[in-house]
Amino acid sequence: MSDFIPAKFCPGCGYPIALTLLKNVLKKNDLLAKSVLGLDIGCNLLAWNFLPISTFQTHHGRVVPTMVGFKRARNNSLSFALVGDGGAYAIGLQSLIHAAKRDEAITVLVINNTVYGMTGGQTAPTTLKGQKTDSHPEGNPEEPMMGPELLKNVVKPGAFLARTAVNEPKQLMEFLEKAIQTQQAGHFSLIEILSFCPTNWKTSGMETIKYLDEKLKPVFKLGEVL
Amino acid sequence: MKYNFVDNKNRKLMTGAEVCVQAAFDAEAKMMYGYPITPATEVFTGWIKRGGAYLQTEDEIAAGFAICGAILAGQKAFSATSGPGHILMQDAMSMAEGMRLPFVLIVGQRGGPSSGTVIYSQQEVILSCFGGNGEGLRLVYSPSSLKELYQLTRQAFNDAWQYRFPAIVLTDGYMLKTRGVVSLEELKIENIPPHQLVPEDKVTHWQNIYTFEDDLYYEINSAKEDFHKIADEIAKAEKYLTADAEILLVAHGIVGAVAKEAVQELRKVGIKAGMFRPITLRPFPKKELDKVCGWESVKKVVVIESALGQLARIVRDQLAPEIDVSFEYLQKPGLGIEVEEIVKFVNK
Amino acid sequence: MTYKILLSGDGGQGIQLVSDMLAQAAFANGFNISQIPNYGLEQRGGVSLSFLVISDQEIAYPRFTKPDILLIMSEQARIRTEKNKNGNLILDVQDYNKKLEENNIFVKSYNIFFLGRLTKILEEKGVLKKEDVFNLLEKKLSTKMNWEENKKTWELAIRN
Repeated sequence: MSDFIPAKFCPGCGYPIALTLLKNVLKKNDLLAKSVLGLDIGCNLLAWNFLPISTFQTHHGRVVPTMVGFKRARNNSLSFALVGDGGAYAIGLQSLIHAAKRDEAITVLVINNTVYGMTGGQTAPTTLKGQKTDSHPEGNPEEPMMGPELLKNVVKPGAFLARTAVNEPKQLMEFLEKAIQTQQAGHFSLIEILSFCPTNWKTSGMETIKYLDEKLKPVFKLGEVL
Repeated sequence: MKYNFVDNKNRKLMTGAEVCVQAAFDAEAKMMYGYPITPATEVFTGWIKRGGAYLQTEDEIAAGFAICGAILAGQKAFSATSGPGHILMQDAMSMAEGMRLPFVLIVGQRGGPSSGTVIYSQQEVILSCFGGNGEGLRLVYSPSSLKELYQLTRQAFNDAWQYRFPAIVLTDGYMLKTRGVVSLEELKIENIPPHQLVPEDKVTHWQNIYTFEDDLYYEINSAKEDFHKIADEIAKAEKYLTADAEILLVAHGIVGAVAKEAVQELRKVGIKAGMFRPITLRPFPKKELDKVCGWESVKKVVVIESALGQLARIVRDQLAPEIDVSFEYLQKPGLGIEVEEIVKFVNK
Repeated sequence: MTYKILLSGDGGQGIQLVSDMLAQAAFANGFNISQIPNYGLEQRGGVSLSFLVISDQEIAYPRFTKPDILLIMSEQARIRTEKNKNGNLILDVQDYNKKLEENNIFVKSYNIFFLGRLTKILEEKGVLKKEDVFNLLEKKLSTKMNWEENKKTWELAIRN
């Protein structure tokens, strides 16, 4: 299979960057064959044939419990759940918290672009205060939710929680390596990845990067949370 | 008085829940995901007590999707639930229908709507057969005795893994909580082994959402064709004294067993009654129903159920439109039905 | 031949134990049985019912409204089973109060008394053997508190 499959993501989307870096880390560690990537529905569903690893689509908010079942059935696999901020922290939060609490040996990759991208940019749990969205045209009245910090209260020793961004490739790859080691050691890991959504941010070119750096990064602190 | 009894060695006192657990073990199920809910809890706790691998999840949604994940990895996994839990389980059941996953679910019906009662009903028929945003391409079995509960649970695992359709063993609170005499030793059933839907040695990409209407249309049609191909083999009914029946009682599950006794009582008072009991609700034994109802002797069909017309809806839908027969209904949503009530209803 | 027995009392009075012993003894004697408790929201303190069917035929359905024998062990149970009375054989605790008091039977042993009574009735009908019931009872209760009291109660019930 060719490594290159044309992306179906919007131009300037952050997903292909995160996915390509994931592939590079897996390839470097010779883990492509063992890896399985579950997709949550949302923009992440477009990743279904993007990587040379096995993938499957699930339901919105349900990829975490699906990967719990997969990993428990195939213990030698490297099980990843790719999920958006809405899937992880809104509709799927109950399952995410309990998977973290039970220390399920899966790696959850949360793409945080502060909006529901696929449905046209509605407010997500991570939407910034005051940010104008399709469902809050006057601006979001709520403070955004901090996923990894929330999970910090429930995970067991050995778990790995972190936040980085698609324009921090070195840190992202380092965290991916750590998350994989965490899963291999039998523990839960989650990386929240700040990502671009020029379509719904209505930004172009350098503006998109600037938006992420100047609006998102000051609110969502990068680094290891645990 | 003298009675002739079979040897007690092969007879056992078991509850319906214990029968389900035994069937799951014998089917070589390897994992149960569950969430406690009356009256299905004892299937879960019974499985745990006997040492089955399990996970108690945060809700039935998680249990259902964990089963989907396990199945993709090639593991025989299952759950048991009821009522409100069954509603949540239909989320994953819908994925199983869309991706043709051999999802096995035991449903112990309780009263509804909403929290209803924790006791008994036949009100989860439509939910079992057509729950989710799909077309009802799943297998639904309705046992009428503990022995049949065992057989159909074994069959559900086999059919699900052989034909790759989700399967529901649709029973009820009475059946799961009842302790009765069963002899299982005589039942020899071969197991269909599981297989990896996401193979370890090959990269696969599984879709369950499509870019174009035509792609989904193609998938549904091919699933529909597969479903129709196996319908004749899987669809089953019990017919009792139908050859000369003028009044045909139609009932399923435990009510079917009661209807059969009612036929005996009605015959004693000179009423030519017969019984048709669908053992599978999906696929429905349509051909047999058409055959029986098409006979000239049959004047009236009486559909009897502990629901407000859920079975009746399916029966009327499945019966060939050219068959001219009148219908009557005995419906007691959420209530058990006794032999005497049926006799009185028919013989009025 | 089919016997439908409805056992009723307050939760904690040991209704399910009585049902269990009778069912097992009838089963050991070769009969088919079907047994179902009432289960609902009144898990503790409410009325406890057990529907027991003993038959030499296949038993299709575990529930019934007209029992052949009805046991009533409490006031609440008497009210609850009003619709189940139909000229059948009724064993009501209020008819035995004097006898139970005269013989200094512990309230906690009342279920054993009625187990004995029912055993006697069913043995006469050839349904079960009293030795079987007693053995089951001994196995279940002999290492627990008040076994001597329970044994005494059993003997009283079986004797007359």
